[in-house]
Amino acid sequence: MTTTPQLNDNSALGGIRVLDLCDAKGVYCTKLLAEMGADVVKIEPPGGDPTRAFGPFVHDVPHPERSIFFLHYNTSKRGITLDIEAVEGQKLLKGLVEQADVLVETFAPDYLDSVGLGYPALTAINPGLIMASITDFGQAGPRRHFRSSDLVACAMGGMAHTAGDVDTSPLKPYGNQAYHTASHFAVMGILMALYHRNLTGEGQSIDISMQESIAAVLEHTVVKYFNQGLVPRRQGTLHWSNNFWVFETKDGQALLSTRQRWDDIVGWLESEGMAEDLADPRYQDPGFSAANVLHIIDVLAAFARTKTTAELVEFGQLLRLPYAEVRKVEELIDDTHLIDRGFWVPVEHPELGTTLTYPGAPYKAHRSPWRLKHRAPLIGEHNSEVFQGELGLSGEELTALREGGVI
Amino acid sequence: MRRKLPLEGVRVVDFTWILAGPYCTRMLADFGAEVIKVQSAETGERESAPGYNNFFNRNKLGVTINMASQKGRDICKRLIKVSDVVVENFSARVLRQWGLDWENARKIRPDIIVVSMSGMGHSGPMRDYVSFGPTLQAMTGLTSLSAFSSDRPLGFGYSYSDHVGGITGAMAVLQALNYRYRTGFGQFVDVAQQEGSAVLLSTAFLECTINGKPPQPRGNRLHHQAAVPHNIYPCEGEDRWVAIAVFTEEEWRSFCRAIGEDGWTRDTRYATVLNRGQNADELDKLVSDWTRQHTAEEVTELLQRAGVRAGVVQSAADLVDHDPQLRARGFWVQAEHPETGDTHLGVYTE
Repeated sequence: MTTTPQLNDNSALGGIRVLDLCDAKGVYCTKLLAEMGADVVKIEPPGGDPTRAFGPFVHDVPHPERSIFFLHYNTSKRGITLDIEAVEGQKLLKGLVEQADVLVETFAPDYLDSVGLGYPALTAINPGLIMASITDFGQAGPRRHFRSSDLVACAMGGMAHTAGDVDTSPLKPYGNQAYHTASHFAVMGILMALYHRNLTGEGQSIDISMQESIAAVLEHTVVKYFNQGLVPRRQGTLHWSNNFWVFETKDGQALLSTRQRWDDIVGWLESEGMAEDLADPRYQDPGFSAANVLHIIDVLAAFARTKTTAELVEFGQLLRLPYAEVRKVEELIDDTHLIDRGFWVPVEHPELGTTLTYPGAPYKAHRSPWRLKHRAPLIGEHNSEVFQGELGLSGEELTALREGGVI
Repeated sequence: MRRKLPLEGVRVVDFTWILAGPYCTRMLADFGAEVIKVQSAETGERESAPGYNNFFNRNKLGVTINMASQKGRDICKRLIKVSDVVVENFSARVLRQWGLDWENARKIRPDIIVVSMSGMGHSGPMRDYVSFGPTLQAMTGLTSLSAFSSDRPLGFGYSYSDHVGGITGAMAVLQALNYRYRTGFGQFVDVAQQEGSAVLLSTAFLECTINGKPPQPRGNRLHHQAAVPHNIYPCEGEDRWVAIAVFTEEEWRSFCRAIGEDGWTRDTRYATVLNRGQNADELDKLVSDWTRQHTAEEVTELLQRAGVRAGVVQSAADLVDHDPQLRARGFWVQAEHPETGDTHLGVYTE
């Protein structure tokens, strides 16, 4: 059974119930669904989710309710605790599945089947169920039992190979991008499956491999191999297209395009008497300019050192050059553009006695706005609301479950 | 009987070009939407590498329309009348000039969904800034944090942010389709690709605002969890590398046993994860001495068998020609186009 849509609710996924059985790989997926308006119930093992042990902690005080990782990725969700390996826990989970539209899980392949909670068992309870499984290497294939992490997925998926410099090892780019990418593909799969279910009534299972998710976001990498037999290598900040490079400026660093809008670049350099030989018509030829990109970089580097980053970026952008400051993350928080667009969202956290500032919407939808609803749940915060209110358990039953370590 | 793809029956008018926009509409096309890519008759798309446009525009239909002429714009209006979604990545004024922005498009088709994918969004002081993937990566801090030290940013080497922009655009379309199913309303969605990428800095912002401690680049070491060894190590052969990530004490013991260094588990310098963290440089050197004597494939097989997370740093050639998992799962698909090999999305619906 699915919940009745609330037509007066101006969110994309109002009325959709999602069960979240995710580790670090999938928490961003369920956060996105929650902020599109779904009612996401995060199911933690009794005592709290292992990701609550991830630092850093608010004011550097280690505590399961102060993990910045947990606080970031679990906003707008409700939270319950449940031991899904206990017989009674499984019964309760099945009761929740009956009322749910979507289940997202990140267990190793075959695990849920082994405890009697695989897709066939759950779809027998709720034929319209959409079940998304995010795993390291997918549900099938000879390496389905290989184990991975953000680092290993970036390596096996091909992202690390092209990052770094000629004199360094390959580099895993910053910030859980394998987890984010797997979560992104899971969200898209779920939104498509919901749309499909609207029209056909059918649920389905979705198999997301973290390795494949990374292999799907490599831009030129496999294109060059398929079409030219070339294996792209890492080359520092020089973009594979030879079009971008990070330069030292008078007061910092700026990303400048090296060939895009060539006439404007040369015109600007000439007006300052710093163009050297770049006005030579041979540079109009893409092959010639690509072959001489290191010389172009030398000329631009001498120029960049005479300007502040702001001078380069502001005047460059007036010339329609895609220039940017190489910013540190703390510099984004005071960015007037992001502030003007209302990007930052204050979220009250009464238990911590503070208001937390979160990054906001990934897109601005005018009718069904993305919305950060509330802080991450405390451990078992919604146990009685969900188990008593929605599954109809009595207070005594709830106490017995708690004492039995089931919740 | 062939099963229906999830987006069959959805028609998309696609005004996008280069990567972010075409990647967005390609995902919609791959899952059954009829995507009609509109290009001007006189200007084909610039090819940034051979095969690039094919790769990111598969499964679409293509039409050429001269949008500078009134007749061309009229034809486009007839197309919008029978479509569900318009996706574009022009600057804000282009659609308005053509009379095809959301306010005008909804007069033609009341429940139309218009998704606009610009670099900086349609409002704010920097709305006219020109950006590409590397620009957005620099602006959001992804470039400066992807590095081994704070004075030498390295970044990605390619346009990850364009993929993120495409994914954000596709999410915007898909949520709007679900909303339209429930309410009958279309809408306008303003995608600022900078914001789609900025949210992926995730916990970094709370680290700044709550603790006043912005994250610093740490190369391949883990930022927040205790995990050592956690790095990319050199292997036998030219430019061959393996990633190894040891999280638990059990994994640490398995790792030491697997590589024949059981003694390390009794060495006080490496006894606990905190000790290993303090001596990480020294330990990484010892691990490198071992990995150098083996191929990346051997290390991966050996450590995975021992329950330790490890994997070859795969190049394009490894991914396409040597990965048994991707091959078994049919990840790469050869399309019928004579010059092109092609790829799955990484999203499987059964």
